[in-house]
Amino acid sequence: MTASAWLEVLDETLDACRSHGREDLVQRLRRRRDRPPGVTRIAVLGFPKQGKGYLVNAVLNAPVCSVGDAATPAVPVEIGYSAQPAATLVGRADERVPVPVERLTGELGARPPGSLRRVEVGVPRELLSAGLVLVDTPAIGDPRSPRTAAALDVLADADAVVLVSDATTPLSEAEVALAHHVRTWCPHVVVALTKIDVCPSWRAVAERDRALLAGAGIDSPVLPVSATVRMAAAKAGDQDLNSRSGFPPLLAWIAEQAARPPEHTSAVLAALSVRAATAELVETLRARAELAGQDAGVDQTTLLHRAQRKADELRKRNTRWQNLLADEIADLQSDAEYDLRERTRKIVETIDETFDKGDPVKVWDEFGPWLDKTLAEAVETNYNFTADRAEWIAQAVAAAFGAQYDLHDLRLGESGAELIADVRQPRIEGFKIGQKLFTGLRGSYGGVLMFGLVTSLAGLPLINPVSLGAGAAFAAKTISDEGGMRLQRRQAVAKMTAQRHVDDVFLRFSKECRDAIRGVQRKLRDHFTALAEELADQLARERETIIAGSAERERRMVKLRREIERLAGLHQRAGELGVLAGRAPRELPA
Amino acid sequence: MTEDVRGLLAEACGLYRDSPRAAASLHEALNHLDEPLRVGITGAAGTGKSTLAAALGETRSLRDLTLADDPAASVPTDAAVRLLRHLEPDELASAHPAARSAFARQTAVDTVLVLARADETGAGRIDALLTAKQLARRAWREDPLCSGAQGVIAVAAQLAYGARAFTDDEFELLAAFAAVPREELERYLLSVDAFTDPAFPGPVSVDTRRSLVSRFGLFGVKLALTLIRTGSDSRVKLSTELVRRSGLGELRDTVAGCFAARAEALKARTAVVRLEAVLQNEPRPGSDRLEARVERFAATAHDFTELRLIADIRGGRTALSGEPADEAVRLLGAQGTTPEERLGLDFETDPREVYAAGADAVLRWRHEAERQDRPPAERAAAHVVVRSAEGVLALFA
Repeated sequence: MTASAWLEVLDETLDACRSHGREDLVQRLRRRRDRPPGVTRIAVLGFPKQGKGYLVNAVLNAPVCSVGDAATPAVPVEIGYSAQPAATLVGRADERVPVPVERLTGELGARPPGSLRRVEVGVPRELLSAGLVLVDTPAIGDPRSPRTAAALDVLADADAVVLVSDATTPLSEAEVALAHHVRTWCPHVVVALTKIDVCPSWRAVAERDRALLAGAGIDSPVLPVSATVRMAAAKAGDQDLNSRSGFPPLLAWIAEQAARPPEHTSAVLAALSVRAATAELVETLRARAELAGQDAGVDQTTLLHRAQRKADELRKRNTRWQNLLADEIADLQSDAEYDLRERTRKIVETIDETFDKGDPVKVWDEFGPWLDKTLAEAVETNYNFTADRAEWIAQAVAAAFGAQYDLHDLRLGESGAELIADVRQPRIEGFKIGQKLFTGLRGSYGGVLMFGLVTSLAGLPLINPVSLGAGAAFAAKTISDEGGMRLQRRQAVAKMTAQRHVDDVFLRFSKECRDAIRGVQRKLRDHFTALAEELADQLARERETIIAGSAERERRMVKLRREIERLAGLHQRAGELGVLAGRAPRELPA
Repeated sequence: MTEDVRGLLAEACGLYRDSPRAAASLHEALNHLDEPLRVGITGAAGTGKSTLAAALGETRSLRDLTLADDPAASVPTDAAVRLLRHLEPDELASAHPAARSAFARQTAVDTVLVLARADETGAGRIDALLTAKQLARRAWREDPLCSGAQGVIAVAAQLAYGARAFTDDEFELLAAFAAVPREELERYLLSVDAFTDPAFPGPVSVDTRRSLVSRFGLFGVKLALTLIRTGSDSRVKLSTELVRRSGLGELRDTVAGCFAARAEALKARTAVVRLEAVLQNEPRPGSDRLEARVERFAATAHDFTELRLIADIRGGRTALSGEPADEAVRLLGAQGTTPEERLGLDFETDPREVYAAGADAVLRWRHEAERQDRPPAERAAAHVVVRSAEGVLALFA
């Protein structure tokens, strides 16, 4: 296989990742492509407190990593060969600051978090002299933490990975998931089972771990080790003890990684990275397609139905509220009029009563203001009644419409009671003394004449004492009669004036009231008609969007499917590269 | 306090007579008020819950409470001992169940965190327990995730459990090992495998050695040998020393002082939390009045304020330290809630003397509470102490 073959596939995958906005994958693939030749990088990964630091120190037989309760650095530590111990802090902008090895922990603690990219440590160890680099990583933890991200980022240029898990408990679910993730990016993974010196049941735990890994389809060996025993062996120079520490097989595995021909490794890594990247991309695209498919399923059938149902509902509601409004307004109209009529009738009754007995001349001063006040009251009451009912109707219609709409501006205006003109005093004649005299004379004349004529039959002269007496009597009666008639006439005039005034007010006001009610009706009708129209428009638009959207989705789905096929092709090709490089490809998980 | 809660629950029972689920829940809560305090021992798998429950269970000062080893979620507990494998942020966060209500949050004085398997700290070196203790202490002082706990205590439960029930045979065996020259034995103490190696010097059988290491752990064996060499030369002495170092004693004292002594308050709290859940799940007319009473209950229950302040003082979250801190914690009832215990007097003390000591404490702490040159938080803490001391005097009224 040629280098150009895998470069081509890698570049194509790079482009795909870029076009799908996966800058993280782009970075990883680029680092794979540009990996320096002649260097084998082995990353040591694991959850906190599993003994990573102890393990690295025991592998190197040197206290390079901080261990115990000291905080482990938040950035990867790359440990390579150098003739003299040396340490370099590499900053965010790749600036390099050399520090003395023994002050490394202190220097790390003094740096603000996030200012470093990595730490490079050089130690004079033969194991590393052939270009091997061990990378101690921050503990994996919270998936959102920058430490976890920094640790997983190391996978991008690791050739092999040592997963560290202690023997106190079998692999947790999270650890198996981590192993799975590591295995997709890196072909060579070993699980180091640490702390076997203090765990009596480490053999059972190792078996359990092997079973768990096999169950997850991960072909990684499990190597039980004890850093404590290894350190003791190194101190005592005891070969036997060293073999009991479990480290020789681990060191052999590490040496095997370093001994692989570089071009072979490059191809396998490229193939694996392409497969991992395409698998990740396909997974997101599939999820997106699935989501879109689900949406489509919901849309086409349900959404249209739902829109249809909404439209039907709106139509029903329209009839409902319109009928209700018409009925209620008609009722209010007649009720208001009846109420006003009833009130004015009572007033008229009182007027009649008043002037049946009383003399307008005497009572008008009192009667006039009373009438004004009572009328104003009647009008006001009626008006308030109407206004309340109008508001109630508005609420009822809103309820029938199906929602509480803002019922601003539905109150009627002022009742207008203060605009009613005061009742005007009718022209009432008194019965003055001259008139009385005249009327008396008229009556006495009639009486004298009548009795004079009768008495003349008896031979009496026309004017005699009897006829004069009768004249006087007649004069008195005529005056009295005339007075009574005048009172009745006055009463009639007063009654008529008052009644006409009441009628006037009634007429004018009932017209005003009718207008106001009609105004309310119009306002409500306009308001709810507008709302109904708006809703209908909205529904229509919704339908259009649904119909248009499904077409758009269909287009997107086709595009997604095509893209997934293309990526599957890349995956396949990378698999073939893997075959050529001597590893059995595993098919893309469906 | 219990009577208040009983009244509250009785009223709630009346209100929810027609809801079988709510009524059953309330009745259970009501009955639990008469049962012993229930302390749950919780934690992830492999943290050693059962071992710790067994080690704590045989403690005399905890006779009056029930230890529930890993209780199911449906079993209500009044307080919890939470075991953590490490004091990592993830684990600590998972040990913090979200409090359901303001009341539950305000009175959350029901948890002791335990750094379990403390003997495995730092690759099981001989100073593992000391390191673990420091880690726990530091976390309690500095980690905000530990701030609500009544204590963060490092415990080596296996060691404690083994050490509490030492047999004479086992002691003899360990004493014999300790008599072997250190250099000769050293390589056999490197790992469990080495310790149970047939090549081990001496006539002790592999099985005996295996049972020893499985009872005490390799760390326990190493620690026991060191202790025997440095003077713990009898079974009782060794047992006492191992238990002391295991952290079990500290845990026991905390559970006794913060939980057992406050059984009434904690049970009342459980009942009220239960009542709140019912009120929240099935609101109905009249339930808002009960909610208001729950609020009032939380505001007036001084026990919770005391426990919270004890935790703050001990966790180093107040400005108090040294002698005043010790006195404050004692007055708040951390060593028992009788007047004598609060005032640090013998049980036989003449009541007049007790009263005088109480009055003196009130005066002194009231002075502290009113010092204008102290920050408000400190004055508020002193006020709580004054209230506790006044409570002592109130018993004499």
